[in-house]
Order: sequence, then structure tokens, then C-alpha cells
Amino acid sequence: MINPDRNQQPDISPVGKINFLEPEKHQLSNGSSVYLMHGGEQEIVKLDFLFRAGSWYDKRKLDSVMAASMLHEGTSSRTAAQLADTFDFYGAQFNASPYYDNSYVSFLSLKKHLPTLLPVVSDILRDSVFPENEFEILRQKRKQKALVDSKTVGITAQRTFLRKVMGNHHPYAPISSFDLYDKVTRDHAHEFYRNHYTSERMNIIASGLVDKETLAILEESFGTPWGGSTNDAPDISLLQLPAPEKVDIHKKGASQNAIAIGRLMPTLNHPDYPALKVLITLLGGFYGSRLMKNLREDKGYTYSVHTSSIPFLHQGIFLTFSEVGTEVSADAVKQIYHEMERLQNELVPEDELEMVRSYMMGRVLREFDGPFAMSQSFETIFEFGLTYGYYERLIETIRNITPTEIQNLAQQYLSPDSMTQVVAGHL
Amino acid sequence: MISFEKHTLPNGLKVIVHQDKVTPFAAVNVAYNVGSKHETPDRTGFAHLFEHLTFGGSRHVPDFDTPVQQAGGSNNAFTTVDLTNYYITLPAQNIETAMWIESDRILEPAFTNEILSREKKVVIEEFNQRYLNQPYGDVWHLIRDLAYKVHPYRWPTIGSTPDHVAQATLDEVKQFFYNHYAPNNAVLVLSGNLVPDKAFRLAEKWFSEIPFRELMNPPREPEPVQTENREITVERDVPMDAFYIGWHMGARDADDFFAADLLSDILSNGKSSRFQQRLVKEKKLFNELDAFLSGENDPGLFTVVGRVNPGIGFEKAKKAVLDEIQKTVQEKPLDYELEKVKNKVEAHLLYHEVGYLDNAIQLANYELLGGAAQINEQVEHYRKVTPDDILRVAGKIFREGNMNTLNYLSKKDGK
Repeated sequence: MINPDRNQQPDISPVGKINFLEPEKHQLSNGSSVYLMHGGEQEIVKLDFLFRAGSWYDKRKLDSVMAASMLHEGTSSRTAAQLADTFDFYGAQFNASPYYDNSYVSFLSLKKHLPTLLPVVSDILRDSVFPENEFEILRQKRKQKALVDSKTVGITAQRTFLRKVMGNHHPYAPISSFDLYDKVTRDHAHEFYRNHYTSERMNIIASGLVDKETLAILEESFGTPWGGSTNDAPDISLLQLPAPEKVDIHKKGASQNAIAIGRLMPTLNHPDYPALKVLITLLGGFYGSRLMKNLREDKGYTYSVHTSSIPFLHQGIFLTFSEVGTEVSADAVKQIYHEMERLQNELVPEDELEMVRSYMMGRVLREFDGPFAMSQSFETIFEFGLTYGYYERLIETIRNITPTEIQNLAQQYLSPDSMTQVVAGHL
Repeated sequence: MISFEKHTLPNGLKVIVHQDKVTPFAAVNVAYNVGSKHETPDRTGFAHLFEHLTFGGSRHVPDFDTPVQQAGGSNNAFTTVDLTNYYITLPAQNIETAMWIESDRILEPAFTNEILSREKKVVIEEFNQRYLNQPYGDVWHLIRDLAYKVHPYRWPTIGSTPDHVAQATLDEVKQFFYNHYAPNNAVLVLSGNLVPDKAFRLAEKWFSEIPFRELMNPPREPEPVQTENREITVERDVPMDAFYIGWHMGARDADDFFAADLLSDILSNGKSSRFQQRLVKEKKLFNELDAFLSGENDPGLFTVVGRVNPGIGFEKAKKAVLDEIQKTVQEKPLDYELEKVKNKVEAHLLYHEVGYLDNAIQLANYELLGGAAQINEQVEHYRKVTPDDILRVAGKIFREGNMNTLNYLSKKDGK
């Protein structure tokens, strides 16, 4: 056997056409949409129930969070203990995550157990009673968790950043005081549930080994309407978005400082968004990014630095985050701005851009790898009312964006003056 | 059921191929039989530091990240007390890029002082970020040090102190490599959208020339049987009092492992478990309460972690847990209870069969443990456990003198 030529990098074929699996769209009798994403080999079905019930709709902060957490804590006919026991016995996983725009109720089960379990899920969505006892336990649990989180420089910096960049009164802004946990009540949370977990506000995305039979079971359990109709989108037209600010938070004795630097940006349905994703990837979105090379590879300041875009439905946010040694914190901040300026002042070299293109194409391919990844990608665009055309545009941008376009974008969005900066730690 | 084929190359490298036609990706996963348990007490954190160092490139591949990213992939690694595992995932047509890199990593990494001093800094920042600058971040340092007196599970993978990492020299690092990194001490798993015959040929092409190496791997002294309960108390700036109790138990490949795992599930897996129902919900003693196995390859710990609600009384809460533990020693679980946790494990294992990378990592781990085929025997082992087994194993683990308690108290103002 001839030894391979190790001095020669093996040939690479670029990622070709990506197969976007279009979900099959159906409608239940009550008008709710069901999207079936068939694939995989295991006898598993994952159901995602999307409700327009995120914190965006909160009249009082935390109502949406408590409502989602209380979902499987008891119905008129089943106690919390019975619900837990049923799901555990069949090895099913029920999770409700309140997010900013939607609340995601996800249910993972062996396919064969769906006829037994979906009536229980239906009961939860239609008739949760939020027992006072369970509510109190959860309220305490959440409050203590928030207190533990507040001890970390990382979460402190990120939450402060979000409040500073959007303003305390923005519906997406995290709460500013833990006292709010003492004010939230069972009645308020239940009212939120009544108004937002309704069939009218629901969409179902089913992935895995799903078929006609799955659809029939879904119809049986979720096909009749429940709840009324509400229109409670907040009016943010009068909300003043704050000016950029630099904030230091002192945490004596911390062995690292957390740095959060960023600004408001367009969100996913904006024409600039695909190109912004390329820019963000270049700056700090992957292992070979400018910031990773600078702060970790070159200087050893940090274990990791990451730049991301947060695409809320009504507002996009750009954020660079890192935890660094306290003594190098000031220089790390300087380097982050330096890398932003470099993207504004210099054209990206072709070979670097080529690498980013390949890496990002691999990422897109990953987002369509199997039914569960695909359903997640579908949910991302579904929120925005977009089609797979979004991914086509993203791919088109990844393949064709020029160094000049990137520089223009950097000049438009990465000016250090426009950044809000939060540093938490031993200053 | 996870299908796979296995061959061994003349240099001792075990090669496993797992085909998954659903994904467009492939994974190249290499696990080395070297973890923090192969370190000495005065030089801890080496296996993990070494993992970082190898990303500094090798003799023929100066930079691993660029080619992987050019190929549309990503690479990463992790180190545990038992092993070091490297993986690259990339579009299947580019698998050879990953073979080139992984084979060169084991052939000869680039040892330079520059890379060493940089990665030392990065690892010390990782130490800070994950262990020192986190609430409750140092508990595993404390509990391991309390529970183990001889066995190298005494320190966590990150090392007992950042000083050991800071003091590492290039010679020590090189020595560490030749002591442990050898084809005859590794498992290569290729998984994803590939044809098994072709995959084996690629493994031969890239890995055959790596020489067999004599290993310096002296046998570890087993931890002596603990005969007296141990307890320590620390105060930290955390909001809630907590305790961590660890009992010694059998190894990962012992028959009793499965009964012990189900026992921990009966106690705390899921909202319907005993701990959740009785102590979190009914008595409202705990904010969080969990029981789990360390699941390590040498004999590990059965651990219970509780964060006590404010105003409850620390000792009262601890006693409630020990009472529940005592019940498992005195009474068999109900058939229904046992059936429930078995169903749960079975479903859980099936959920995790989805994913070519997870499967590759698991196959490698089982192969190091004694045979990749074990991956498909897990369910059967769990199914065989009887209520009497649970009772017997509980008696063995929760015996007097086998307990290690860490009281982790919230620092009160003024102290």
C-alpha cells in the first residue's frame, strides 16, 4: 500500500444543491395549521405546538413565563402528579419554553404511544387549572434560579446589555429586579394562559415518522376549537429606543470579566439580513473568525468569544460576547472595536471570504440534516411568515457577496460609536 | 439498533464504520484511551491541556481549522476522566479532509513553545470561566477530593489547580503524547453517509503508516474500600445552601451498574420521581434535588445533589433525603415504578439513536470500555433488572461508612 501524500490537502467538493424538504401543509377543522415534516428511521414523532404567547404579549412581565411553566401542573381532571406519571411511564418528553414571540410546547414520543398520550396533551392545552400550590413552588424555583444566575458575570452582562440596548420598557427587555417574582400571581398567569393558549393562536409542526394516521390523531385531539380570540399586540410606536451607552458593573473578586458589545440591527425579514449573517460570521461567528483569531488564538485572553444575531420578530440585535481575564479586559474591549473598524476600513481578502462561504454552506446544509433539524429551520422562518425563499436568498448571498459589499455593510452597522457596551466583573 | 462493522489495522487501530444514509454528513471520530485518570497527582489537567495543544496543528497540517471550514465542516474535542475524543463532521463527500487531519494529529503534532504558552492561557481562562467564576463551580473539585484518596478520579479533568497547567513544560507534553497517543490505544469511528468498504479503505490509506507505539500506562491503584463516612463544610457566595453526597459504587461494566442507574431514576428522574413528588412538591424542601451516577469507566460515585429552599433548615432537608435513601435499602420498589423507569430509559436510548455523530461517539466509548456491540445490549441489561436487584444494590451502595458529604453553605453577611 502506498502511503498518502500528506503534504497535499485532499480535494474538496463544495456543498451542492441542498434539498429543502417542504412540509406538507394541512388544516384541522378548527382552522389551526398542521405542517408534517416526514423523515428519519426511528419510530419517533416530535410535535411542536407554536402559540403566539411569548413575552412580547405580556401585559405584566413574567406572566408569559409562568404560564408556560405551569402548563403541565394540573387540569380539571388530572393532577400534576398524574400528568407527570403518565408521560414518564410512556417515556414521553413534554416541554414548554416561553420565548420572546412564540411559546413552544414540544412533545417527543414513540409513535405508538401517540393515541394514548395526545388526549392528555390536548387536556393540558385546553384545560390547565394552575393550582396555587404548584404555582408557588414554581415561583420560588424560578426566583432562586434567577438569583443564582445573577451571581455570574456572564448572565449579568447579557441581561443588562439587552435592557440597555432596547430600553427597560421594551417588551423584549429582561426584568430588572427579582422583586417582580414576588408580584406575579397565579390569577394573572392563568389569565394569560386563557387568552393566549387558544386554538386560534396555535400552529402545529410534526416531524419524524409522520403520516396520514398521525394527522388523523392530531385532528381527533386538537381539531375542535377552544378559547376565544384576542388581539393584544403591544404598541411600541411611542417607545423611545435608547442611545448607545457604556456601562460597567462591579463584581468584586470576579476572576473574569464578561463583555457584551452590540446594537440594534435589522431582523430576519430585512433584505440586509443574509449579508449581515456573513458579516457577523466573519467577525465572530465561528472558530476561524477574526475575533477568535485575535482574542483566543493570538492573545490567549479567553476560552471563547462569539458574535451573534438575535432575530426577534420585531427587532434584531447584534451581540458580541466574551468572558476574559480581568487584567486583559480593557484590551479585549479595544480589540473587539479594532476588529470592527478593520472590517470597515479594509476589504476582506478573497481566501478568507472563500473559507467563510464554505463554512456557512456547511452550516446551512446542517440546518436541513434530518426531519428534526428541518422542522427547526422551518419554525425559524415560519414565525416571520417567510418561505424557503429565505434560505435560497441566504445561499445566494453566501455564494456571491463581494468584499466591497461586506465593507459597505460594516460601515453601515459596525461603527464603534453605535455600540452599547456592558462590562461586568472585577473592574 | 445501531448497525456497524469493525476491523483492526495491523498497527492495532480499531476501526468501526456506522452507515447512516439519511444524513448528507459524515463524522470522523477518534477516541484515545487517555483521560485525567492517566495523570499523576502533581501534574493534573494534562490530558485536557494536551487536547487543546493538538489543535495547534501537526507536522503536515499546520492549521486544522482552515481545511475543515473550507470543506464545510467543523471540528471539536472533549476530554473526560477516562478518554479524549476528537471529532470532525463535514459533508460526506469531503471525508478525506478529516482523515488527513486526524491521522496527522496522531502521527506527529506540532509541539512548539508558542502554541504551548498560548493554550496554557486559554485553558486557564477556561478553568476560570467554568469552575472558579461560577456559583457552585468548584463543587466537583471538593467532592472528588473528599471521596477519593488514591484513585485519580480525585481530581476533575480540568485539573486540581490552574498551577499545574501553568507549570507544564514542552518536554512533559511530548512525553505525555508518546506515552498515550498510539493507534494501539485508539478507536477510529467513521459514521454517516458513506459506503462501509470505501470507508475501511480510507482508514487503511490514512492510518496504516502510523507506527505501533509501546504505551506507558501503569495500572491504577484501586480506591480502597471506604469504611467511615466523611464530611466537609465550606461557605461560598451563593444564594442557596446546598449539599452533595457521594457514595462509592461499581464500575461502568459491572452488572450492578444498570440496577444502580434505575435506582437513581426511581429517586429523581422525571417529575413523577420520588424526590420530585415527595420532597420538592409535597414537602417543598428543595429548589432542586437530583440523583445521578457519574457513569465513569472505573468505579464511580452515586451522587445526590440538593439545593435547599430558604427558611427550611439545612439539616431537616438533608435528613429527609437520607430517609428516602433508607427506604430504598429497606423496601423493594413497586413493579409499576420499576417498569416506568425502564420504559423511560428505553425511549431515551431510542431518541438518541438519531444522529450520526452521537452514535459515533457512543460506539467509540463502548469499544474502549470493552466492545462496541454493547451499544445494542443496553436495553436488554436494563430490562433484566428486578425489584430484588434494586434492593440489593441499594443496600450495597448506601451502606454505613460509604458516604461522602459536602455541605456547601451560603455565606451570611457579616462573616
